[in-house]
Amino acid sequence: MTETSPAKTRSGPHLVLLTVYAIFVLAAGARSLVQVLTRFDEAPIAYSLSVVAAATYVAGWFAIRSAANGSAGFAKVMLWIELAGVVVVGVLSLVVPSWFPDDSVWSKFGIGYGFVPALLPILGLLWLWRGRPEGAR
Amino acid sequence: MDAVTLIAFIVAGYAAFVTIAAVLGVVLRAPRPKWLDQISWMLEVLAVVLALGALASWSAGRKPESLSTFLGYVGALVCLMPLALQTMRGDRSTWSSGVIAAAALATGVVAVRVMMVR
Repeated sequence: MTETSPAKTRSGPHLVLLTVYAIFVLAAGARSLVQVLTRFDEAPIAYSLSVVAAATYVAGWFAIRSAANGSAGFAKVMLWIELAGVVVVGVLSLVVPSWFPDDSVWSKFGIGYGFVPALLPILGLLWLWRGRPEGAR
Repeated sequence: MDAVTLIAFIVAGYAAFVTIAAVLGVVLRAPRPKWLDQISWMLEVLAVVLALGALASWSAGRKPESLSTFLGYVGALVCLMPLALQTMRGDRSTWSSGVIAAAALATGVVAVRVMMVR
């Protein structure tokens, strides 16, 4: 039985995407939790955006997984939302720095994470367009 | 340079080596070799040594700026690679090496962060 079942994620580049998303769920989730619980008053906008970023990575992980199993609709929407979030927050952090007395995950296009937050949705969209197995398109 | 900083540099350097080896596996489109698992577990051993060293220096009186951040990094340091290897246990495909590469790179970055925040 070489056919893949919908319930089982097949092998492919999405495995790497899922791993990086899982790492960012951990990194952004822990960071936003610490920021919100210990010093939310210092930078409420930036820290709220960190929570949004963490939630987006959770949704992104599920979106990539469901796309690998053949259902790409959620991933198409989610990855564009994530890319828009990185771009909007990145631009705002440069244009209105007073809103960001401390960095959020997406500040300056994710410079604190080696710009991986900006690359991740782009790589995800490229995978959706070109890398996904034929059966999952 | 104290012992923990030295160990952190060793972990980061070794993690870079594992990352490059795993990426080569993906580039060459080879099934994941068993030796990649072995050198990944070796990275985990080094990460545990670093975590114990960091915790020992903390218990000896060194105070990190944010204890929760420090403990979070120490936890991530020891958990990342076993989780990646466990997830890919039944998959020897080319892309499973990519998962190891991502986990090894993250372990190296976290090792440096442990050194910075401790």
